[in-house]
Amino acid sequence: MRIFENANYPFIQHRKKAYVFSGILLLLSLVSLATRGLELGIDFKGGMEFVVSGATAPGATAIREALTPVLGAEPEVKTYGAEDILIRVAAEGDINEMQQQIIETIRQRFPETQPEVVQTNIVGPRFAEDLKRGAIYSILGALLVIFVYILIRFEWRYSLGAVIALFHDVLITLGLFSLLHGWVPFSLEIDQTIIAAFLTIVGYSLNDTVIIFDRVREYLNLFKTKPLEEVVNLSINATLSRTIITSGTTLLVVAILFIFGGEVLRGFSFALMVGIVIGTYSSIFVASPVVVELRRRMAAQRVAAAR
Amino acid sequence: MKRNGFKIGITLALLLLCGYYLYPTVRYALLQRKLNRMPEAERAAFIEANYGTIQELREKALKLGLDLQGGMHVTLEVRLDALIRELATDVDETFEEVLAAARERARTGDVSLIDAFVEEFERRDPNARLSRYFRNPDVGITRRSSNEEVAAYLRKQAKEAVNRAIEIIRDRVDRYGVTEPSIQKQGAHRIVVELPGVDDPERVRRLLRGTARLEFRLMADPQLLQAALQDIIAYYEPDTTDTGSIATTDTASADTSLAALLGEQPTPERPRNPLLAVMQPVGQGVVFGVVAGPDTATVNRLLKNPEVQALLPSGIELLYTANPVGTDERGRPLYYLLGVRKEVELTGEVITDARVEFDELNRPQVSMTMNSEGARIWARLTGANVGKHIAIVLDNVVYSYPVVNERIPSGRSSITGLDSREEAQDIVTVLKSGALPAPVDIVEERTVGPSLGEASIRAGLRSVLTGLLLVALFMIFYYRTGGMIADLALVLNIIFILGILAAFKATLTLPGIAGIVLTIGMAVDANVLIFERIREEQATGKTLRAAIDLGYSKSFSAIFDANITTFFTGAILYSFGVGPIQGFAVTLMAGIVSSLFSAIVITRIIFDYLVLERKLMVSVG
Repeated sequence: MRIFENANYPFIQHRKKAYVFSGILLLLSLVSLATRGLELGIDFKGGMEFVVSGATAPGATAIREALTPVLGAEPEVKTYGAEDILIRVAAEGDINEMQQQIIETIRQRFPETQPEVVQTNIVGPRFAEDLKRGAIYSILGALLVIFVYILIRFEWRYSLGAVIALFHDVLITLGLFSLLHGWVPFSLEIDQTIIAAFLTIVGYSLNDTVIIFDRVREYLNLFKTKPLEEVVNLSINATLSRTIITSGTTLLVVAILFIFGGEVLRGFSFALMVGIVIGTYSSIFVASPVVVELRRRMAAQRVAAAR
Repeated sequence: MKRNGFKIGITLALLLLCGYYLYPTVRYALLQRKLNRMPEAERAAFIEANYGTIQELREKALKLGLDLQGGMHVTLEVRLDALIRELATDVDETFEEVLAAARERARTGDVSLIDAFVEEFERRDPNARLSRYFRNPDVGITRRSSNEEVAAYLRKQAKEAVNRAIEIIRDRVDRYGVTEPSIQKQGAHRIVVELPGVDDPERVRRLLRGTARLEFRLMADPQLLQAALQDIIAYYEPDTTDTGSIATTDTASADTSLAALLGEQPTPERPRNPLLAVMQPVGQGVVFGVVAGPDTATVNRLLKNPEVQALLPSGIELLYTANPVGTDERGRPLYYLLGVRKEVELTGEVITDARVEFDELNRPQVSMTMNSEGARIWARLTGANVGKHIAIVLDNVVYSYPVVNERIPSGRSSITGLDSREEAQDIVTVLKSGALPAPVDIVEERTVGPSLGEASIRAGLRSVLTGLLLVALFMIFYYRTGGMIADLALVLNIIFILGILAAFKATLTLPGIAGIVLTIGMAVDANVLIFERIREEQATGKTLRAAIDLGYSKSFSAIFDANITTFFTGAILYSFGVGPIQGFAVTLMAGIVSSLFSAIVITRIIFDYLVLERKLMVSVG
């Protein structure tokens, strides 16, 4: 069986439509990021988080109301997976005291429960600052390294095209996180694992882009007389079946992870699913057209200079 | 077969190597399973008999992260600000201000606390000398020492303090008894402690954090304390003529609204005293009052007021008892607030030995032996205070405050009033390990219960197997024989990844498993590229053999470029990430290396064997 055999779709010719589509997505993302913002997880916000089992019966709201006067501030309480609830306290203080107060209060107010802390995540404010800094450095570092590597292996237009596509992917994924948090039944908080997912998206999207660029480089030598648009379009079509198959298998395993991987990995695998789709789209509709645009501009300048 | 002899040799050697590294893991897993099936008694005997082997296997087996096997990951930070204050021989207001500013800068910026402290100090007065705070001829800091020298001294002290804290914490953890704990320094003043399988985080937190500052102190004069209590209650007594005071109106309105809620007739009662609302006064002997656990923060805030502090007898502070003295009608634990002299008569440094004992009622206690100097002071102290209380204070809470019956010449003393045997044991542990040079804070903690870890392993395994199965089926469906070859490479690939992890003593975490799942999806990429290229070449009319040659050679640059960049991102993740994220980065990198090898080298060997040796027509779909 073969898909996309002798594919010949006019991707580059229709690039303006893709620009509009991407533009709308980017605009939506930016608007959502500016208005709704992102929900930061405990890694970057700091605080104490207790996952409590055996206490789902009263419901999150009742537990929140019971805990508020005891803790002196309203804690965040939500269901976590099927059997647990997650209680998050912003305050700093003695961990042991906090844990005892939470468990004692639940036990007394809801005698039918058997609360037990099965997981804790505690991040101090200083530590959260450090994690945030680490995350920013790693994303910037990754983008820089990628830019330089493509610069060495290809030329600056490709490098720029690839990095623009990466920004496009990460921004839209972030935008979706911002747009959807609170609306979906799983956590879309930005924490360390999500940063890892973003970097993986960066790596993956680049993977796709590089394979198209590699073909462009090969075809430019092969079809010296053809215009660039046509060569790029041929390259995209020639690699199309591979692009779709690899995206498909990767998307498949990530979807499996999303379904079976458990609560901890849900946000992570969601980010990857979105990233794979956007990354595949952007290597065809963003990275490659950018190279075409940059080349054309230079050709136009050369013509102008010759006159 | 000849042409590929070298490649086959390498492949077999690598497989053997992986087998060598993974063998203990497999044996350990089988052993665990066997143990789980055994009845309780038999299991203990079996473990006893094979202790050496089990230990060795566990050591060599692929390590599971704390998120998979359950346990506690704690990052401690040595409080350098407390250390600086401790090292200072003279402290004034400017010093405290500079220290507070430095702490703030160190918190938000990328600068160390000591550097921030020195800079902040010089910024305020470029001509001032730090030596005026740290003058100490014993360590060579004189009035003339330059700020540089003082800074160097502080840095040296800080470094020593951190190293000493690591030793002490290691000692405490060893005494607590955890299999395979890991204690490592992170950065300049943080300590990462990993404790697999720990199921009592509350106890471990106390154990790690306890500075173990044991102090013997005299207590307040009962009459003076009693008088102070009356004065302080009077201070908070609401002024009946003027109800404008914020604190009183607050409580008053809260009370009336509560009464209204309960449907009672709001009685025109006097506004309540805010202190009495949270503390029950006692004023008997050395006991100042009784406070319920959740109210301690409020009481502390009320008592911190400088005007209130001034009402206390001079040289006296109020400390809580370590353990509850009872519970109130709502079941909340109650603690005594005791009047204790600030002056420390004797510290834990004189303790030479400590052990758990039980009194005649079988209550646990810690009995301690002092060195000769301590014994001398202890004898004088007890001799001079017969009939009075002596407080035994550990980390700022009072464990017991016995009345001295007679002079104790032997240098013996004991801590009573303990909750449980565990508590007594933990006190012995911290006393024996010694006091931390500076307090430590828990700045990060991740605890995963063992059952949650098991659930994660199951979830991870299921994802790996399902992903593998579906991808493998797709490859066979789409690429026929080529797909089967790629699938074989895929399975070997997973063995290689696990082998690499075991060989480098890396830890398998849940994100790490996610990395393996992701690798399954991406590993076929190289083969997809090659097979697509072979199809393209075949479409131009080339023979199978030529198409295979060209397919491999022409797709190589694309495969290489695409994978190396992902490898870079993995490396960056590894260097900036922590814990489980590093686990993900490691599996991602291992996955790239091994998938390149299996997709390019191993599949080629098989293709060559089938096409060149067996002269078969191999279909790539």
